[in-house]
Amino acid sequence: MSNNIKRESPLKYFHRLSSKVANRSVGELFNGEAEFALVVQESPVISHLNLRGDANDQLFCSAVAEVLGLMVPRQPGTYHCNSEHSIYWLGPDEWLLVSQLAADELETRLRKNLSGHISIVDLSGGQTLINLRGKPKALRTVMKKSSVYDFEAWPLAEADCGRCARTTFAKAGALISNRADGSYDLVIRRSFADYIGQWLLDASQEFGCRIEGDSVN
Amino acid sequence: MKAVNRLGSGARTDSAKTINFTYNGKPLQGVAGDTLASALLANGVNLVGRSFKYSRPRGIVGHGAEEPNAIMQIGSGAGTVPNLKATQVELYEGLEAASVNGWPSVNFDLMAITGWFGRLMPPGFYYKTFMYPAKLWMTYEHFIRKAAGLGSSPVQNDPDSYDKLNQHCDVLVIGAGPAGLTAAREAARAGARVIIADEQSEFGGSLLASTDIIDGLPATEWLDAIVAELQGFANVQTLPRSTAFGYYDHNFVGILERRSDHLGLTAKTGARQRLHRVRAKQVVLAAGAFERPLVFAHNDIPGVMQASSVSTYVNRYGVAPGNDLLLFTTNDNAYQTAIDWHNAGRTVVAVVDSRLNPTGERVAAVTALGIQVMAGHGVIEAQGGKRVKRALVAQLNAEGTQVIGPVTKIACDLIASSGGWSPAVHLSSHTGAKPQWDASIVGFRPGKSQQQERSVGACGGTYTLRGCFEEGASAGAQAAMLAGFGDDSLMFPVPEVLDIQEQPQQALFLVPHTKSTSRAPSQFVDLQLDVSASGIELAVREGLESVEHIKRYTAMGFGTDQGKLGNINGMAILANALGQSIAETGTTIFRPSYTPTTFGAIAGRDVGELFDAERYTAVHRWHVEQGAMFEDVGQWKRPWYFPKQGETMQEAVDRECLAVRSSVGILDASTLGKIDIQGPDAAEFITRMYTNSYLKLAPGKCRYGVMLKEDGMIFDDGVCACLAENHYLMFTTTGGAAAVMAWLELWKQTEWPDLQVYFTSVTDHWSTATITGPNARKVLAKVCDDLDLSADSFQFMDWREGTVAGAKARVFRISFTGELSYEINVPAHYGRHVWEALMEAGEEFDITAYGTESMHVLRAEKGFIIVGQDTDGSMTPADMNMDWVVNKNKAFSFIGKRSLERSDSVRENRKQLVGLKTLDGAEVIPEGSQIVFDSKQQIPMSMQGHVTSSYYSANMGHSIALAVVKGGHSRLGQTVYCPLANGRTIAAEIVSSVFYDPQGERQHVE
Repeated sequence: MSNNIKRESPLKYFHRLSSKVANRSVGELFNGEAEFALVVQESPVISHLNLRGDANDQLFCSAVAEVLGLMVPRQPGTYHCNSEHSIYWLGPDEWLLVSQLAADELETRLRKNLSGHISIVDLSGGQTLINLRGKPKALRTVMKKSSVYDFEAWPLAEADCGRCARTTFAKAGALISNRADGSYDLVIRRSFADYIGQWLLDASQEFGCRIEGDSVN
Repeated sequence: MKAVNRLGSGARTDSAKTINFTYNGKPLQGVAGDTLASALLANGVNLVGRSFKYSRPRGIVGHGAEEPNAIMQIGSGAGTVPNLKATQVELYEGLEAASVNGWPSVNFDLMAITGWFGRLMPPGFYYKTFMYPAKLWMTYEHFIRKAAGLGSSPVQNDPDSYDKLNQHCDVLVIGAGPAGLTAAREAARAGARVIIADEQSEFGGSLLASTDIIDGLPATEWLDAIVAELQGFANVQTLPRSTAFGYYDHNFVGILERRSDHLGLTAKTGARQRLHRVRAKQVVLAAGAFERPLVFAHNDIPGVMQASSVSTYVNRYGVAPGNDLLLFTTNDNAYQTAIDWHNAGRTVVAVVDSRLNPTGERVAAVTALGIQVMAGHGVIEAQGGKRVKRALVAQLNAEGTQVIGPVTKIACDLIASSGGWSPAVHLSSHTGAKPQWDASIVGFRPGKSQQQERSVGACGGTYTLRGCFEEGASAGAQAAMLAGFGDDSLMFPVPEVLDIQEQPQQALFLVPHTKSTSRAPSQFVDLQLDVSASGIELAVREGLESVEHIKRYTAMGFGTDQGKLGNINGMAILANALGQSIAETGTTIFRPSYTPTTFGAIAGRDVGELFDAERYTAVHRWHVEQGAMFEDVGQWKRPWYFPKQGETMQEAVDRECLAVRSSVGILDASTLGKIDIQGPDAAEFITRMYTNSYLKLAPGKCRYGVMLKEDGMIFDDGVCACLAENHYLMFTTTGGAAAVMAWLELWKQTEWPDLQVYFTSVTDHWSTATITGPNARKVLAKVCDDLDLSADSFQFMDWREGTVAGAKARVFRISFTGELSYEINVPAHYGRHVWEALMEAGEEFDITAYGTESMHVLRAEKGFIIVGQDTDGSMTPADMNMDWVVNKNKAFSFIGKRSLERSDSVRENRKQLVGLKTLDGAEVIPEGSQIVFDSKQQIPMSMQGHVTSSYYSANMGHSIALAVVKGGHSRLGQTVYCPLANGRTIAAEIVSSVFYDPQGERQHVE
């Protein structure tokens, strides 16, 4: 694909926007020096593939594992990751792959390795991955404002695996996962991105929040 | 200037720090730690309102949520809050308070005139008097509300923000008095996630005003230590100023936290109030108890207070609300008030005890102070105008039902009364647990637990401090264990307290008078709503028997205090009047909210622009920049039309529609639902869902389909394309996308799990630009050089993969306008780029962006239906004249096929889709208009159909409409009539639903 065409990430129009800190004495300072207790970072455009297949089929699992270098998670609500790919459990026969590799390249590799009744669908244009990090209290509070899910009940994530859940985030949906550094990753749909951006700025007003990202990449 | 009743610093106030505030415009001073009520009392202000019905002067009675009289309007302007209880309003600098009850003023009240005619306003007065004529109710209501003093709502938008937090915990403790604190500490030590909430400004409950010694420390010092200890646990959340207002199913509890109300109306600390939606594994209710007032004649005169409240004002706030106290009690516990008052250096004129021979330890202590105790007596009446001047005291019989001695007048300005305690069973009652009468505590205990909760301490009927500590600690340990933490053993020793020997109390719910109840001066049961003992007895005489009916008839417990003080007395008086026991009469059921809850907190942040999620397409910002007007389609914001400077909507739509048919238009169609379907059985599955067949649809080809529900009625429609072998893309309507996806999964998972097929929503992945019009091909050719666009190679209902403006695209040659059309799909990251490239390429053809309104007009010109507009869930394909889309010869049935054969589906005279052409072409029939065949008939007319779509068509030069008319397909050429609400009638001719290009030639332009 030609390089001179403009790509717009879903949260593009919120990059470098920040909420005004409602009250400095109440708002906690991020790292004691940064201005905002909460930072929302949109990942550069990366590949999102939906994968369907039979988890009980050894061949399917080993073929996927071979391409990704990751075991297919079969435990509900878990994900595995390495430096290039993440694979999230979405259902007994459904996973989300988020990858640094180009979507068509990854799809080609998978299809070459897989056979039988499977489905691979490119969703890269339709969703985006955002990372929420910040002071623990600010992060915890904003997550509680936004979702009914009990994220505190999750064990801490490790470098190569963690927990994930598709649940509500404000009045939209999101695939939410925890990371080893204590932050959260959210995979959200493009059409809801503006709403979620606006929601996060509003909900984190008491702490101060800034949205980061590369607008063109 | 020292306030007249300020004793100095109380246990929780600092008299060195003064706070200025105003009450009804008058500047006053309170001190740090005061509530509005304690500050008013300190300043000698006791008259705080007028009563609801009789407009009698009323004073501060209590010190918390139970307060019936001191109802205030706080602040002014947009942030003003009506109906707050002065006892719960923390004082802050600059606070403006105004009494709510009392019109036009508290001291001079026009309504007081009705007080003199009180006997003219019996219970049920409103039902009896204001019901007829019904049309005057609005007038009555206005007057009643104003007279009753229900406060005023701000008319401006609320300037504050509100929050909701979804909380999860193992143990939720409600109430941070002695029982709650020990419960929370045990649960916390066991490792459970604990939330402890209390409605007061600080934790402690009764300990805040206690003179007890705990573990060798004054109560308030012991309290500070345990609160600090709790705050030290990482697994404990402490929530002061937080009222648990509702206990719902599945151990879900609503808690309202007031975050800035104590700092002032304009304090900006983020959210003013926060609604905690707590899902708890276990709940410990330690909500305490309310002291029960004694019901005697004119017990509503300012200066009659709760005994425990008097102690609280003295001990906690350092305020003595009077000079000469007379204490009236039925129990030992209240004697502490006489001791506290005496220790404050003021005079106790007498203790009047209804019991014949009180001898408990506290009684002895009072006697030792030289205070006169009048055993076997009762206060039968208070006298005074705006303040108590004296009490009438008389000897009572042993049962407390009759006056048996002469009446003595005792001068005093404060009467503290205590009829024992009533457990706060409200939250337990919310769960469906019916409170049970227990004569041994003279009160209702919480009923059998319906959820994972237990009531401890005073709200369970345990009133000794030691008992509260013991119950709290073991409940905390037990709740933690049940939630998976600890082994139910106590980790801390139970705090040491001195046991004080108490004698049983007497059950006394109505103090007799020398006159009968109906003749005696009013003996008030519910102060807020002016319900008296005689009123309850009258209601019984009028034939009411059920406690629930009496409640509604007399309005007892209907106020903002929900009868926290009066209800038990009222039920006991009712039981007596009915000749029943209290247990037989029972209690009304308490429902949420425990105390009034602001709508702001319930709405939270879901207000204004965030009221609902707005979905945007990848091209949304371009539309905004072009000044588009938007239309809501589901949650999507779709461009409705693109007005140019000075254009009306009709002018814009006319211009857009003409441009499409004369040159080329462009539509953002990204919102259409798109479902990717893969698997060896994909074609078979799709063929079962649609009325037509897809088994022979080749890669590169598209087909239009209609989906039915089992009842044979049209549910959705759209185009389905074969992308590759075993790989399809289904388009759905914008509004139907989620429903269709669920529909497919439902049939796959529940009916045909054997079919190998997977569905994935790709709606958001693709951005779709539809270019349509005779010049569409020329525009596309300028930005796409790897596709053969010639009419022979890329035919109508074909799709091709190619590159458009540098982006990999799927181009579908399908049409919703009847013109040559290409729907160009690119991954949404490139949506705006490709759109702008198409606009640039189309410039020489004056390419025109159009919105949903023009889309509707253009498709109506072609008679294309919109599911949900022209259909309403009762239309078959045949009704829509679309039998051509139904293939009845498929090997496997399709959903809805059988229903198409039902007698009702094939009967004559079903409503059928037709076109309407108004006789006056300039007239546009309103959508939804009913259709009749004879405009001269009598009302009600025989309605024969209705208009589903109606527009002015610039291309046709006249208005067009689609309608469903009974037997419409055989009525072409007939004239029908649309009678309008304004009396006019529009005449129209039934015509074909295809107005424009009936042969469908235009989409085949070379």
